[in-house]
Amino acid sequence: VTTALARGGTGARPGVLRPRAGRPRARDRRLAWLFAAPAILLVGLLMYYPMVGTVYESLFTTSFINPTPKFVGLETYRRILADPGFRQVVLNSLAWTAGVVILQNVVGFLAALLLDQNLPGQGLMRSLVLLPWVLPGVVAAILWRFLYDPQLGLINSFLIGWGLSDHGVEWLADTATAMPAAILAAVWKGFPFSTVVYLAALQNVDREQIEAAVIDGAGPVRRLLDVVIPAVRPVIAVNLLLTTILTFNYFDMVWVLTRGGPLNSTHIFPTKIYELGFGQFRFGDAAAYGVISMLVLVVLIALYLLVQRRARA
Amino acid sequence: MWKLASAVGTAGLALVSAGAARAETVTLKFWDNQQTESGLSQYQQEAVKRFEAENPDIKVEVTTVPYPEYQQRLLTAVQGGNAPDVSTVDQIWQAAFAEAGAIVKLDDRAKAAGIEAGQFFPGAWESANYDGNLWGIPFNVDVWFFSFYNKALLSQAGVDPASTVTWDGLRQAAQKLTDPAKGRFAVGLFAHKGEDTTVVLDSFIYSNGGSVLDASGKCALDQPPAVDALRYLASLVPYAPKGILNAASGDMRELFLNGSLALEFWPALEQPTLQKSKLDWDFVVGHAPAGKTPIGTYGGWNLVVYRQSPHQDAAWKFVRFLTRPDVNGKVVDLIPANVEAAKKFLQENRKHPDLILTHLDNAKPRPLSPRYLEVSDAEITLAQDVFSGMAPADAAKKACASIDALDGK
Repeated sequence: VTTALARGGTGARPGVLRPRAGRPRARDRRLAWLFAAPAILLVGLLMYYPMVGTVYESLFTTSFINPTPKFVGLETYRRILADPGFRQVVLNSLAWTAGVVILQNVVGFLAALLLDQNLPGQGLMRSLVLLPWVLPGVVAAILWRFLYDPQLGLINSFLIGWGLSDHGVEWLADTATAMPAAILAAVWKGFPFSTVVYLAALQNVDREQIEAAVIDGAGPVRRLLDVVIPAVRPVIAVNLLLTTILTFNYFDMVWVLTRGGPLNSTHIFPTKIYELGFGQFRFGDAAAYGVISMLVLVVLIALYLLVQRRARA
Repeated sequence: MWKLASAVGTAGLALVSAGAARAETVTLKFWDNQQTESGLSQYQQEAVKRFEAENPDIKVEVTTVPYPEYQQRLLTAVQGGNAPDVSTVDQIWQAAFAEAGAIVKLDDRAKAAGIEAGQFFPGAWESANYDGNLWGIPFNVDVWFFSFYNKALLSQAGVDPASTVTWDGLRQAAQKLTDPAKGRFAVGLFAHKGEDTTVVLDSFIYSNGGSVLDASGKCALDQPPAVDALRYLASLVPYAPKGILNAASGDMRELFLNGSLALEFWPALEQPTLQKSKLDWDFVVGHAPAGKTPIGTYGGWNLVVYRQSPHQDAAWKFVRFLTRPDVNGKVVDLIPANVEAAKKFLQENRKHPDLILTHLDNAKPRPLSPRYLEVSDAEITLAQDVFSGMAPADAAKKACASIDALDGK
């Protein structure tokens, strides 16, 4: 159909949609807008309207008990920024995101390297490695809650059995260990996603370059650092960006494991927003936290892109 | 002639409209939640059939939501203008629903129907009142907590269950019952972010004569009775299973059922679960300092009628029906809030009904504040602070600072 149109197949106005070197005619532009309109409308309605609505709501004090919104401008932000609990949420979110993203990508890349070798049972391994990713988030979180149980959990059983601990560790009940424990569980759940992406990239690395490096006497580490990683660098960049966004907004793992506790040591933006909105009916505060969370994410992504651009230059 | 025709016409119209009114059926939307494994849906359907038979012009659509989702579903429905006509609300939400204008006052209707305080447990009736008005009718209740104990473990350790009713007695028993090397613990303390943490904390404070808020609504957690209760709770930490700060009552139940824990704190609704187990169990009615009576904390649900409902009269009829002595016991999965119905229900369904009734009579509700959920959050942090070693007086001061700051937010 496109070809027919481009050839002037409509008969009446030959060459109407033919690409031209000059400015597109007004009718072409109108047609283009017409085709794009449903998508723009959907994206606008489903994505940008709620986002703008959240920003708007954050300028009002609205809660369940004060359902009539009262305009307070930036007062909610001032109050939140002055609250020590807010600083804790920001620091927790950064630690959580950095921990999960770095570990998930390292583990995911190593697993992809392993699966890229021609080892026996590779097909089965590729399927098995996907299992944590396929599990629903809440199920994975419940599974890890059992593993971390101080009395009945498998991890403490092993630690005590191997003589590494006398009475086990209170993984999720100790402010020192709760966040690392949550990060570990999230890495287990998320690393297959990185593995799949990296595996696809590794399989597209030019084999001739690798063979040339072998002939030049490069060992496996040298080949990895000088041939493979540079070849998959764009994929690493995209993967880091994606996992940063997904992890920053990851709710169910932390909520099921600790609900942000103990003593708020695992409270991150999504759990705090949920607690404020649905736990305490404070919609204005929840909206302000949502907006700040969006800004923090934008800053993180901007920083990341800046670093990328500098590295490329 | 003209007059006759007119009279016949008017009479005819009246008949037609009366017929239309008869044919018009009101459909009520009733929401409730389910907390236990009982056959609640079946009981409700049977009750609804009976109500519909008594009120042929009213149909009832029942929506039963699992407890963990109920608050969010109800809140979203109210905010979105899709509230049911009538529903149960947790006692601790009711003040906020009233303050938000989501539900209607029931004083006049209750008075006209002869519904009054004496028919319900005192704390349940108190929980249905807010700011001088009646906003709900108590539907079901339970009380935190009863201390369920493993008879075999107490007997092996030579502990007389009756001795654990006093604070000193409980601590002495706890020393005998704890053996971490064998994975045995005495007392199931928990302090995760959940309402079960708050109600147990409240019960210890109430049992020492303390309160969460004073009569003027100011925080009373930093007063001596409350601080002493916190100090006592902290002294029990060595006898509790590890991981208190992230543990819930459900985790303690697991340990109790597998024989690792000697005493667990639960409301009476725990009995059906224990009856199904192979454990030899019994219970005492909470703990208090010597010479004081253990005071429990009320949990439970009130029936409310929504302002958005176009069928408030029919909704009220349904509320009256569900809280009637002959019906109330047949439609709840906790304990009927109607005392007459509760007595019969407890005789038929629970061990030691007299002990439960006494505990219900003594129990107090949680603070009736429209900001209750935030008060509770501060109390949970207080419990976590105390269980992680902060000095009780300092932890209480910190909690009071955040509770008293709520007014300014």
